[in-house]
Amino acid sequence: MGGKRAAKNKQPPAAADGAAVVCLPADCRLAVQMALKEQLQQVLQHGDIVIDAQALERVDTAALQLLVLLRRELEHNGGALAWRGTNEVLHEAAALLGLEQSLNLPTATSA
Amino acid sequence: MGAVDLTQFHKTFFEESLEGLDAMEAALLALDSGSTDHELVHTIFRAAHSIKGGAATFGFAEVAAFTHVAESLLEEVRSERRGVDGELIDLLLRSVDCLRAMLDHTSHGLPAADADSEALRGELVRLVSGEAAPAPAAATPAAASVDGWAIRFVALPHLLQTGNDPLRLFRELQQLGQLDVCRAFVVDAAPTQLAELDPGQCWLGWELRLHGAVARADVAAVFDWVEGDCELTIEPIAAASVAPVAPVAVAPTLVAPPVAAPAAPVASPAPASAPRPVRETAAASSEGSSIRVGIDKVDALINMMGELVITQSMLSDIGEHFHLSQLERLREGLLQLERNTRELQESVMRIRMLPIGSVFNRFPRLVRDLERKLGKQVKLELHGEHTELDKTVLEKIGDPLVHLVRNAIDHGLESPEQRRAAGKNETGTLRLDAYHEGGNIVVQISDDGAGLNRAAIVAKAEQRGLIRPGQEVDDAEVAELIFQPGFSTAAQATDLSGRGVGMDVVRRNVRDLGGSVGVRSQSGKGSVFTIALPLTLAIIDGLVTAVGEERYIVPLISIVESLRLRPEMVRKIAGGGEVFHFRNEYLPIMRLHRAFGCNAAITEIERGIVVVVEEEGRRVGLLVDDLLGQQQAVVKSLEAHYQRVQGISGATILSDGSVALIVDVCGVVRLGQRGKAAA
Amino acid sequence: MAKILAVDDSASMRGMVAFTLRGAGHEVTEAENGQLALDAARGNAFELVLADVNMPVMDGIAMVRQLRALDAYKGVPILMLTTESHTEKKMEGKAAGATGWLVKPFDPEQLLATVKRVLG
Repeated sequence: MGGKRAAKNKQPPAAADGAAVVCLPADCRLAVQMALKEQLQQVLQHGDIVIDAQALERVDTAALQLLVLLRRELEHNGGALAWRGTNEVLHEAAALLGLEQSLNLPTATSA
Repeated sequence: MGAVDLTQFHKTFFEESLEGLDAMEAALLALDSGSTDHELVHTIFRAAHSIKGGAATFGFAEVAAFTHVAESLLEEVRSERRGVDGELIDLLLRSVDCLRAMLDHTSHGLPAADADSEALRGELVRLVSGEAAPAPAAATPAAASVDGWAIRFVALPHLLQTGNDPLRLFRELQQLGQLDVCRAFVVDAAPTQLAELDPGQCWLGWELRLHGAVARADVAAVFDWVEGDCELTIEPIAAASVAPVAPVAVAPTLVAPPVAAPAAPVASPAPASAPRPVRETAAASSEGSSIRVGIDKVDALINMMGELVITQSMLSDIGEHFHLSQLERLREGLLQLERNTRELQESVMRIRMLPIGSVFNRFPRLVRDLERKLGKQVKLELHGEHTELDKTVLEKIGDPLVHLVRNAIDHGLESPEQRRAAGKNETGTLRLDAYHEGGNIVVQISDDGAGLNRAAIVAKAEQRGLIRPGQEVDDAEVAELIFQPGFSTAAQATDLSGRGVGMDVVRRNVRDLGGSVGVRSQSGKGSVFTIALPLTLAIIDGLVTAVGEERYIVPLISIVESLRLRPEMVRKIAGGGEVFHFRNEYLPIMRLHRAFGCNAAITEIERGIVVVVEEEGRRVGLLVDDLLGQQQAVVKSLEAHYQRVQGISGATILSDGSVALIVDVCGVVRLGQRGKAAA
Repeated sequence: MAKILAVDDSASMRGMVAFTLRGAGHEVTEAENGQLALDAARGNAFELVLADVNMPVMDGIAMVRQLRALDAYKGVPILMLTTESHTEKKMEGKAAGATGWLVKPFDPEQLLATVKRVLG
């Protein structure tokens, strides 16, 4: 699956402020969540994490749950979760599941 | 939404349903003979189940209703709530017959059910314990026009693993009314560290409000697939304003204040392309014989084609710049072309070949029915079910075989008492064999019964005037007598015909297929009926002969010998007939030029060649001018292109493009014998 | 439109399902038992699987169980085509990991509505 490859290949490049950036694959559904989780675990100790959703085309509850739990652990450790490149797909799903605040999504539809 | 035309699937449905019934029957018979293989029950159930599903889908309500009851009964058997006994098997076998008839009627556009099928269905219904009336649609409180519903939905961890996603459920709810997600939460039991999380497990819960005049049943229907995968409460909004009893404590951490989900209409993709018109394909459902071909046979054909293309390109290569030095290569290429053509021909012919098992499969049922009817015990053995026969031959060989099997059980095999008295096993054995022999398929029906009753046959033949009283007849002649027309009379043609009755019909049917049938019998030990059939009707190996300006093909299989006669070998007999001496007997000479009215043919017997042909033990000599060689002939029916001609079985095209007629040896021998009898 | 795998040992039912879905623009692959369906699933990324329950060689329940064991099919909707008389089969199918079911007999409109429900 293309999604799986995308999730694995991206090395976390540092954002301008030093936060680790993790890109979501185009198809970010259940089948790739284990890979995404491993990727997130690697950067968990980094401090702040930026999730890049620019490529995102398909997303499911499993993916949003993973990110919710990521933020919870991150904030517990004193880090923060930020977004860039959020799109309509992400906003629609998060809104429908009532998880926009839990995900700390920006209110604008696009960053 | 344009209606989708399903009539194109009807033919497939009928075909597979009949196959299913065959499988069901075979499995029922296996159960009856004491097998306890549970897979048999599954097979029977599956067949009924598929027919029911298909019949209902394609709108054949009567068939569906009948199968439904049968299926319920079978379900009881499958779940071992009901045992299998002879009575049940009888009933189910009758149901199989009934369904066959119903399908047949349906496929011809006739009403499927009749008094018989209804009576049988009634029997099934009575047997099915507590066949409940179709459950009324789940009683739901009349669509209470409430303000809406408060829904509490907490996923169990495995929810996502069933392919259900709360996102999808919520989208469905959105289509019913205005959906507010009041609260989303992570349940307490959720792992607190990513390291412990299995991302395939769901730890989320929601409190939702669905506003609008929505029936509770419609809300519940959204969640019907996740019953057992979540905790769910659905309450009218007024009642829900009281704090709901939470079965799972909520994690306070990420509790978001009620957020009204933006009622942004989820843009459901426009129904893509308009449904394609389907009318033009409906015509495909018209009747027409079809054949199922194994993919291996098609692959073989494609391989052959590939080789043919290679040969063709090689030959055209030679042809383009031909030089005499390439003669050897050309010859090789032509040989290769010949080989390719022959192989391609064989592959094409194989497409028409089907295993004889489909005919053999009728017999367990037939044997079982006859056993009961006649009070005999029969063990049926089938061998060589995979032997393949031309489809046309296969379709026509069924009736003669049924006749021979009936005969063997009715008159060949003795009653258990008689067998015991004769020191035999009480259970008689009936064996069907199919195998290749030479260019033929041989089918044998053997029994270990009493054998032909010589005295009775001779007496009857005398009575019928087939032989003179007191005439000496050897065993082979006795065996032949039962195939004579007139040996039997209609008066005896009962449901179970006596030995001899209709045997002439059996022989005629087999002959029509280009085959022969004979019997060997040993008193007290049993009989063996042997049917020899051509591999295919479409191609014969023939000897091309010249008669005047015409070419006649004599099937190789009938030829005993060809010889040139010396004048002293020929004798004229009274009535103008001619005979010649051949291996201790006198054979009539049949002048083909005279029989078929050919001009410019050789008329002096010693200048021509006599081809001795044999059919069913009778021989005649055919006078022709010359033998031109052997050739495979693709048989073209004269009936189809012209009309039936006495003594001619068909026509073919020779390699030079001219037409040759194929001699019907049977017919010619009969003509010859008539001449001899008249002599 | 979606790539769909239709599994049924009955050629007429399978044909009806495939024909209907293709008419709606979906790309449909057909398989006549669970084993063949698994083989097909391994080489393709189907977005929806529709499967009969009672099939020879490998029935629908066993097929679902094995499909779910494949990473790529963990969250893919799998619908069982079943008859109303078998509620316990529905539950067995669910336990094996089926998403839901479509009750036979169904007509093309019902089929399309259900597929739309699953695919969104």
